[in-house]
Amino acid sequence: MTDFLFTQILSELEDAVGRENCSTREIDKLTHGVDYFWLSRMWADRGLRMPEADVVVSPKNAKETSAVLKIANYYKIPVTTWGGGGGTQGGAIPVNGGIVLDTKRMNEIYDFNEKGMFIECGTGTIYKHLEWVANERGYATMHYPSSLTCSTVGGFLAHRGIGVSSTKYGKIDDMVLGMEVVLPDGTIIETSPAPKHAAGPDLNQIFIGSEGTLGIMTKAQMRIYDIPEERRFRGFLFHNMTDAFDASRELLQKFKPSVMRLYDPAETASLIKKIVGVERDGAFMNIAIEGDAEMVALEEKILLKTFAKYGAEDLGSEYGEKWWKEKITFFYPGNMMDLPQMFGTMDTIAPFDKIEKIYWAMKEAIETNFPQAKFIAHFSHWYEWGAMVYDRFIIDGKDVPQDPHEAMRLHNAVWNCGVRTAIANGGVVNDHHGVGIKLGRLMKEQYGPAMKVFEGLKRELDPNGIMNPFKLGL
Amino acid sequence: MQFSSKCRETADACRFCWMCRHICPIGNVTGQERNTARARALSLSVVMRGAAELDKDIADNVYECALCGACTEDCATGWDPVIFARESRREIVLAGRTPAYIMPMLERFGESGSIYGAEEENDAFAAAAARHAAKTDILLYIGEDARHGAKKNAVKAIELLEKAGVDFTVLCDEPVSGRTLYFLCGDVKEARDAMEAAANTYGEYKKVVFYDAGDAKTAMQEAKELGIDCAAALVSFPAYIAELIDTKALKVNKGDKKYTFQDPAALTRGIEDTVSPRKVLSACGELCDMLLIGKATVLAGQKIMAEYMPETVKGMAAKRWVDCKNMGGSVMVTADSAEYLALEATKPDGCELLTIEEAVLQCL
Repeated sequence: MTDFLFTQILSELEDAVGRENCSTREIDKLTHGVDYFWLSRMWADRGLRMPEADVVVSPKNAKETSAVLKIANYYKIPVTTWGGGGGTQGGAIPVNGGIVLDTKRMNEIYDFNEKGMFIECGTGTIYKHLEWVANERGYATMHYPSSLTCSTVGGFLAHRGIGVSSTKYGKIDDMVLGMEVVLPDGTIIETSPAPKHAAGPDLNQIFIGSEGTLGIMTKAQMRIYDIPEERRFRGFLFHNMTDAFDASRELLQKFKPSVMRLYDPAETASLIKKIVGVERDGAFMNIAIEGDAEMVALEEKILLKTFAKYGAEDLGSEYGEKWWKEKITFFYPGNMMDLPQMFGTMDTIAPFDKIEKIYWAMKEAIETNFPQAKFIAHFSHWYEWGAMVYDRFIIDGKDVPQDPHEAMRLHNAVWNCGVRTAIANGGVVNDHHGVGIKLGRLMKEQYGPAMKVFEGLKRELDPNGIMNPFKLGL
Repeated sequence: MQFSSKCRETADACRFCWMCRHICPIGNVTGQERNTARARALSLSVVMRGAAELDKDIADNVYECALCGACTEDCATGWDPVIFARESRREIVLAGRTPAYIMPMLERFGESGSIYGAEEENDAFAAAAARHAAKTDILLYIGEDARHGAKKNAVKAIELLEKAGVDFTVLCDEPVSGRTLYFLCGDVKEARDAMEAAANTYGEYKKVVFYDAGDAKTAMQEAKELGIDCAAALVSFPAYIAELIDTKALKVNKGDKKYTFQDPAALTRGIEDTVSPRKVLSACGELCDMLLIGKATVLAGQKIMAEYMPETVKGMAAKRWVDCKNMGGSVMVTADSAEYLALEATKPDGCELLTIEEAVLQCL
């Protein structure tokens, strides 16, 4: 592009969002080029520059977002949406340059609706700030992922995020009532006055998880909940994973705990030992029950009785409380895996009849094909019908190629192996981290002809293909 | 650029971590990705790897940090992003790349001994200080921030100590504490010299009471870390007032006001005093705390940054007023001149702003 045309487009973008909210500064381009994706981090660590935006814009609302998208469409410039940048799948990286649209100025609290039990906010709101707003009035959002403090409402919606209390309160897609969305051509739409309707397919669910490929969510009504009267924890040690699955499946037919986390023996012996202090062989499981005190007491009785049937050793409440206190500490530098290690979380989800089989198959596939890799896992989001597995591979720095291109090849080969094994055994590409550029190539393998539905939506809504190119396999 | 190994290690730890984003007072106002510890660390780590120059944009971003330590306090694994923010300022200054908007402050320091230039004229302060020109055992250290915009508050502080019957000194030629130069340039010779000169002055007294928390932090923590010490007992103004109330030198009548205290970060995170201001205000009335208090406090003003980022500093203060009102508060109390000035400039209708000495004076 010529300097003349670039300056012309820049002036139009400045007109749309204000000059101070439109940046070509090196610092802004550089910091919007590296997200939490291992490959982007490795690239920066090796002293290379990631693909960067040509311009970073920060609109305040849907109107300004719409103006940006109209300009981008006219000039056919890629637009990549950036919330907190905490994604692990490279979804926010402007791989093709163009515009990065940072949503964090869209952080207004529009409505605190106590009767409707929701807060309407801009999607650039940091989720922890939303939690504070709820807490000030005696409520809570109950969405507590590890990235609570750094990621935005829109970021969680964009990749279908989930928090540690999901078993009782649901995933982010269960927590949203309605949304305002700016379509790629600049049209501003509202999804529906309420979810769970029969007025055709749920528009919310078309945009949730679309990772900025179909439009930009600018406003959302997020549910709030009463702060539970009581929250009790109970740690257990199972002899093996099969017993833990059987016990959990039976428990979930009776009631829903808020937190359910089962750690495989490898993760029990590593992370759980380090952070929580459990130094025992076996599979550690932490359960939290919360709500009305009388209900909690009753549910605790049911829990103890059910798990005892399967030989679980009751470790009391201490480890569970410690885990709750440290639930985010796991992810701070020094506790979390970091370079020079290579690592990734290949989370997937399946019904109970498949989930344990998937775990063993992935473990075998990774450890057989990549003997330098360690495989650890936990199961942290549960439903009456199944669970997700949060399985990670870790390769020591000494076994990671120094050449960044070779490192990328190894990284992608491990991912291909792990995710293809999950798909082959009844799992899906991902559970709650999304797809991004990391897993886009595997979407077609999972969906087959069903991918046409996504491609059709993409063609109709974004005929110029400007929205977050090369993400989600679209 | 000569970054220390500690600086490199810290930047590498923080460059891919966003966990403290929510707590940054600057980032929460600007909404800019660059105003995070991780963005600053990432850009500096890229510079350290030779993939970018420490250019004007990166230098500007280094100066967009308030060095308030909210990120440090929030870090569960104990990393301190202030280390690379401060050290890179030193490297920028030593490399002759000081941003143009910082230079006038350094020039004023060279000319007048203060980065703010000549002191504000205030007859009431001059008269009050003149009453305490004689040498005593106790020095009431007013500080640069109060002497350049908040002298009217310092007058009240003097009046309060007078009511307590304290015999104290106020210097008309008070040396700077070194705080502002340390903020702008990091650990450079001129900042150390200023801290040493100040320590020599403190050493002439048995006790030094620091009116502003920032100066207390510099004398009690930062100077000590640089090996600069003095024999005098050093105490913050709120701690001294709490002591005067405890010993009944100040007899306070509890009223029915509800006070929301804005903890100065220098007081809580710097010298770890989260107790004395609340003791003082509890004696005067009822406390109505905001959500983020004590060591988790959020900055509500920064006088040096107000010189080059005035709108952002106002935004920080405005957010604190929102925090105060959200918890049902309407009377904000401060113990820091910079925060007072920013809160005063953004005070909503129907709200009241007091210094801690004003709150006590109203209850005598």
